[in-house]
Amino acid sequence: MMTADSLHLTMATLEPFSSLELGHFILTSAILFAIGIIGFLTRRNMIVMFLCTELMFQAAAIAMIAFGRFHMDLSGQVFVIFILTVAAAESALALALVVLLFRRKETLNAEAWTELRE
Amino acid sequence: MIEKLWFLIPEIILFIGVCVVSIMGLSHHRTWRSAVPGATIVFLIAAALATPFLYTPEKMEAAELLMPRVGWYFKVIVGFVSVLLALMCIGLIDRRYEAEVKAGRASFDPMRVNRGEFFIFFLLSVMGVNLICSANDLIWLFLALELVSLPTYVMVAMSRPSRKAQEAAVKYFFLGAMATGVFLYGFALLYGSTGTIVLTEMRDVFAAQVAEEGGVNLLGIVGMIVSLLGVAYKIAAAPMHFYVADVYEGAASAVSAFLAFVPKAAGFLGMILLLGTMGWAGHAGEGSTGLPMPIVTTLWMIAAITMTLGNVGALLQTSVKRMLAYSSVAHSGYMVIGLIAGPGLGINGVLFYLTAYGIMNTAAFAVLAGLERKKAEIETVDDLAGLRFKHPSMAIVMAISAASLLGVPPLLGFMGKLYIFVGGVETGHIPLVIIAGLNSAISAGYYLYLIGLPILSQPSPQAETITTGEARWPRLAGVIGAVLIIVLPVFTNYLYDATERSTEGYLDEQARQIGATDADEPDEPPDPALATRE
Repeated sequence: MMTADSLHLTMATLEPFSSLELGHFILTSAILFAIGIIGFLTRRNMIVMFLCTELMFQAAAIAMIAFGRFHMDLSGQVFVIFILTVAAAESALALALVVLLFRRKETLNAEAWTELRE
Repeated sequence: MIEKLWFLIPEIILFIGVCVVSIMGLSHHRTWRSAVPGATIVFLIAAALATPFLYTPEKMEAAELLMPRVGWYFKVIVGFVSVLLALMCIGLIDRRYEAEVKAGRASFDPMRVNRGEFFIFFLLSVMGVNLICSANDLIWLFLALELVSLPTYVMVAMSRPSRKAQEAAVKYFFLGAMATGVFLYGFALLYGSTGTIVLTEMRDVFAAQVAEEGGVNLLGIVGMIVSLLGVAYKIAAAPMHFYVADVYEGAASAVSAFLAFVPKAAGFLGMILLLGTMGWAGHAGEGSTGLPMPIVTTLWMIAAITMTLGNVGALLQTSVKRMLAYSSVAHSGYMVIGLIAGPGLGINGVLFYLTAYGIMNTAAFAVLAGLERKKAEIETVDDLAGLRFKHPSMAIVMAISAASLLGVPPLLGFMGKLYIFVGGVETGHIPLVIIAGLNSAISAGYYLYLIGLPILSQPSPQAETITTGEARWPRLAGVIGAVLIIVLPVFTNYLYDATERSTEGYLDEQARQIGATDADEPDEPPDPALATRE
């Protein structure tokens, strides 16, 4: 917990940031999450849609770190490392699939793909 | 801790399988390459058979898991259903290329073969389900759920060389990534509420919150609801079900059957573990209030909406694959009733139903995978008309599996529904069970069609051109599935006892835990008084 204490000290010495508390971080992560999910539902460019899901992942990561600091518990930070790893693996897969589609039709617009319909 | 490593041996066997299969798939010798599915099946069976020997009572007693015994049942069942699924995948990948190589028209090029990779992903996905059984923290649960899902995205894309499959894969992947983001956020909120990511510790923290504050705090409730909505994607339940029809239609039939069973099993097990941290009323000790009301309401709505949308959607379809896709949604709805009902008939019923659903759904898809027309899959309902004249065995398999999916009494599907519905009635969710009953009646509309069409009607002109596929294994999988549907009801008691034993430790532990906090409660009020006096 040495690092956590020293972090607290730096926070206290930085005047403008001294009033930062859990709520601010959770608010940030909630806003990021909302931007991600709204962007995912409204945008039709496949790369942008994927970036929106990444935004949701990072929102969860920020919440994890903030809660970890709040509870003085390291497992939140450990979780974040795994989130980043899985996000990286997922982005590799996403780009592979998008390239696969792009070779068939030269567009990134998700609405150009309508073969599967009712 | 060391017990947990013992429990990982089936996964290690599967991982050895992954390594062996990946090398075999790249071999220059055609016989080695064609032995890939066989090797996959050998490793699946080895992992399933090793499980009962590894889950000895002493080890299960000592393991610090939320549900220490569930793997004992789950790994065996998932292993054996996956064998049927692997049989269906034989001859699916690289068929055209292998035929060219065999005829000497093409030379072997390791960059062009996919069969090995396909079966690697198959094994990895099954391994993910096995890993969930020993999940005791949110990191493990998250990674295992992802290990189930990520390979399936690639399997859909590989399953057939058509545009449809690629579109389905992208659709499945994007929505899946979104759902992952949702349940990950839910996990973050759960961590925030409890301050721990270990499920057994979380259970204690929630129990303490109930004892001290009279209920789980808001962050925990919101976190649980968000997590459940995210995991609902894996089981194809209501707010996250919209991908199902398109993806199942786009993927090859064998892969659709895989998607309907493996991620669903993973999702339900994940949900059982998550809900288990809060516990159910009546089962979690005298004074416990069970699941908080908002969560019960959410699950209630998920169940009702899922089964209604699934059954009504299926009625409107002309493609058999889309019909079975919607029926997969509807069956998830029935199983959610079991989640609401909780330990006892509810959870045991879900575990039982997953087995039953896996077998009967695999049999139904095996009919589609085993037949073809001019090297293309059969899809529409008309293709099945009068199937009994040319392919009597496939017609009977289709009829039996549809009857079982409908829940005709002596068959396996009926037994599964019985446990879940009785569980729902016992815990007082009678309106929900009535909705489920009405839904079963609606589902008769299309299942009877699937039973009657192959057996009773005359073949349509397009049905005349249907031939059996090159490989006989998918049809074998269908026949095995149909035989199991008829034979397993005889052993229902044994199977149900197995589910009961697999959830046993979980129940006792829960009751003991909450019982202990209840016993402490009367002693607590004097303590602060003492403290203030001092």
